[in-house]
Amino acid sequence: MKRIWQLLSWAVFLALAVLPLLAGWGYAGAYSLGLTGLLSKGFTWGYWQAVLADPAFWRSLGFSVYVSVASITLATGMALAAVLAWRRELHRGWLSYAVYLPLTLPALVVGFAMFQLLAKGGLLSRISFHIGLTDSLVAFPDWVNDPYGIGIIVAHTWMAVPFFMLMFFNLFQSEGLALLGQVARSLGAAGRQVAWKVYVPVLLRRAYPLLVLYGLFVFGSYEAPLLLGAQSPQMISVLAIRKLQRFNLMEVPQAYAVSVFFVVVVIGFLVLMRRRGAAASLKI
Amino acid sequence: MRYFLLCIPFFLQACSSPSPAPAPDPAALSWEEVEQQAKGGAVQMMMWQGDPLINAYMNDYVVPAVADRYGIDLHIAGGQGNIIVQQLMAEMQAGKTDSELDLLWINGETFYQLRQIDGLYGPWTEALPNGQYVDWKNPFIARDFQQPVQGFECPWGNVQMAIIYNSAAVPEPPRDREALAGWVKAHPGRFTWDMHFTGLTFLKSLLIDIAGGQEALSGPFDEEKYRMYSERLWTYVREIRPYLWKEGKTFPEAVAPMHQLFASGELWFTMSNNDSEVDNKVLQGLFPETTRAYVWESGTIQNSHYLGIPRLSANKAGAMVVANFLLSPEAQYRKQDPQVWGDGTVLALDRLPEEWQQRFRELPGRKYAPRREEMQQRALPELAPEYMIRLADDFRKKIVEGSE
Amino acid sequence: MRRAIQSLWSLIWVLPFVLLLVLSVGRQWTFPAILPAAWSLENWGSVFAPGVHLGQSLWRSLALSMSIAAVATGLGFVTSRQIAYHPKKDRWLLLAYFPYAMAPVILAACLQYYFLLFGWSGKWAGVWLAQLCIAYPFGVIFFSGFWNQRMRSMEQLVTTLGGTTGQAFWRVLLPMSRGALLVCFFQTFLISWFEYGLTSLIGVGKVQTLTVNVFQYVQEANIFLAALAGCLLFLPPLALWWMNKRWLFRGSTK
Repeated sequence: MKRIWQLLSWAVFLALAVLPLLAGWGYAGAYSLGLTGLLSKGFTWGYWQAVLADPAFWRSLGFSVYVSVASITLATGMALAAVLAWRRELHRGWLSYAVYLPLTLPALVVGFAMFQLLAKGGLLSRISFHIGLTDSLVAFPDWVNDPYGIGIIVAHTWMAVPFFMLMFFNLFQSEGLALLGQVARSLGAAGRQVAWKVYVPVLLRRAYPLLVLYGLFVFGSYEAPLLLGAQSPQMISVLAIRKLQRFNLMEVPQAYAVSVFFVVVVIGFLVLMRRRGAAASLKI
Repeated sequence: MRYFLLCIPFFLQACSSPSPAPAPDPAALSWEEVEQQAKGGAVQMMMWQGDPLINAYMNDYVVPAVADRYGIDLHIAGGQGNIIVQQLMAEMQAGKTDSELDLLWINGETFYQLRQIDGLYGPWTEALPNGQYVDWKNPFIARDFQQPVQGFECPWGNVQMAIIYNSAAVPEPPRDREALAGWVKAHPGRFTWDMHFTGLTFLKSLLIDIAGGQEALSGPFDEEKYRMYSERLWTYVREIRPYLWKEGKTFPEAVAPMHQLFASGELWFTMSNNDSEVDNKVLQGLFPETTRAYVWESGTIQNSHYLGIPRLSANKAGAMVVANFLLSPEAQYRKQDPQVWGDGTVLALDRLPEEWQQRFRELPGRKYAPRREEMQQRALPELAPEYMIRLADDFRKKIVEGSE
Repeated sequence: MRRAIQSLWSLIWVLPFVLLLVLSVGRQWTFPAILPAAWSLENWGSVFAPGVHLGQSLWRSLALSMSIAAVATGLGFVTSRQIAYHPKKDRWLLLAYFPYAMAPVILAACLQYYFLLFGWSGKWAGVWLAQLCIAYPFGVIFFSGFWNQRMRSMEQLVTTLGGTTGQAFWRVLLPMSRGALLVCFFQTFLISWFEYGLTSLIGVGKVQTLTVNVFQYVQEANIFLAALAGCLLFLPPLALWWMNKRWLFRGSTK
């Protein structure tokens, strides 16, 4: 009986999580090499060469890394600070309601709302005009469609902070951190020390898989950068979709090459982080 | 697992040999037989659904009308040109014999792509009884992006590009290239164009103007001409670039965000491929009432949008009956009303029965755009599709990603 | 001071919602006016017009997302236990990250072919399966951290005291994980509820979830309709969350 359960579990896991991805990846790979596709003319490295030789592709890859690292770092910092400082208020009171609201908005709508808030003609610019901070629409700084990805990072941070708070808050409970804190305190640790030496390391280590997962989500995000990003550099998904769906059908295989490359980068990164993570957890 | 990966390419190859559908060809039947065959069937139409007025026209008028008169169950799904192309490509690759779609709303670049992959059924438009009211020789109908239509798509509406401006901010808008250069230098940050279809149409009309107007670039793609004139176009763009929105370092992704920037007052100009969109947007309370549309001295591109039937559609007869209804004077008349949609008719008025001619003439005009007849004199034909592909590519490489 | 920072903090996360609500009933919003120049319920009226079938797609979407969330959470909970106790746990878990290693839009383009091949395209069942493929791995990853030494000892304790594996599962593990299960349910519900790329491509527009129905407006020129579409998307999950809030946060503290 137990054996059947085990087998079933693995079968479900392989069928639902692994198989579709391998199949999809295989399709993308075959497409990028000219092995399939309506307009394909047989095997060629040409699409890969075109992609890898394009400086815009590398810029876009670097830009995507930058945006995800920046967003995750900002969001982790803010969420940790808020959870540690306001543990009590997060149990009850209107703060406990307000901060979890953003979980109910999809990225495209967040992108839209951020645009209406942060653009030169947006709400913040209007408020700053009325209180005399800026004297015209043009004087307001470039926060969306800007080369530094400010709009994209703000949107992702805005979406991630509540999610991270929920996660840290639950981990705090499930790991029995309050108790650990008391122990540390009774051994003579100051409040700040407890936070830095006990809470933060434990929370970060336990949250690590989901933080990485979220980083990947930002790395591959499409909607927020589509609405809030500049035309150059573009985030990697925006670039891939442009090649997939714009005017030149000859670029479709390139889009798949970009996707395959993208997956390779992500897996390489995951493997690297896992090794490190394993090493780090041994030390603790 | 490794073996599985190895299998995938073979698997794909095995499944991708397309087999043509053996369904009876409705173009060979009489119209009565077509209607008979269509009765009781379902027609799946895919079209852009981003405008509530257009959706209301389809849902509240067309869907009940074809159900009542022809017993056709019309379903509408949302999807733009690129989604349509992607869908049909994937279907053909998967070796499907029946497409999920029966009727498509397409325009030039989608037509070009669908012909490239041989995704369209045809010729079928000659069989439509309402085709008698269409002037098939009219170059704005017979040719889509310089490609002969040859009965593979049926015209549905006709529009011309218009430049839109806020008359409260810009009392005297520039009317040609030189005037625009002078205007943007005096008003930096207020003008731009988008990276998608509309912006490229704008660049195309600049290219036509640079090449010498009207017929200078008509016919198939000419590499020599393109190289010569596009170089001059980029010189011009580089000259005005520092004075464009965000100093020309980036451009709006598509026309919709550009409209939003115009509505909030960040831009003083926007543009539309549909000359009556300005009325529609003022009516919806998006654009201020001081908004106006106009056409440059050198002209703007006019084109038609069409209805197509996928080659693998399982209900071509039903699709043809719906298309025929959409082409009827009644449906076309209603569609041209600015309160309903404001899409220009493709019917030749002089071919219509007298009473319909009268009704079309009495249609309330647009309030914020010039009259169609006025614009018609400055209508430029579409260029061969390669021009747009090259312009899109070069614009990105030389201007947007360019270092200067 | 503490209160002031908290209020500001809350404001940052509430403001976009207020803006969406205000814009959904507005008309003419030109710089530098803070509020729209005119108000109208016309947009709300237009989406509830008889031809739009919004109510129908609302109920269907709710049913779809609820069932996806239930199945993904349940399967994730049960199967992640096997993976978590496997000696090569990390390697297997890595595979669960795969769906997130591809941007959803690109994943959709890659999977579209297979769904067409097997004839699942354009059907609710096909969309259901496609959504499960993204929601389920989330469940696995979500619970992977849950199966720790403490849980294992708990199970062993039950067996030592003479209980069966089934009893350990139903009487101990399940009640202990109620909080986590609810959070996972909510998250997977949202994954399904907001899913657009796969749903529109695999559903070929025939499977009209609420998201597919109104998403197009968000990317169009009319900001008032876009805001309205945004409101329609966030109100149902907000209601669900409201109902569950007690469990979500207090359940785990018990």
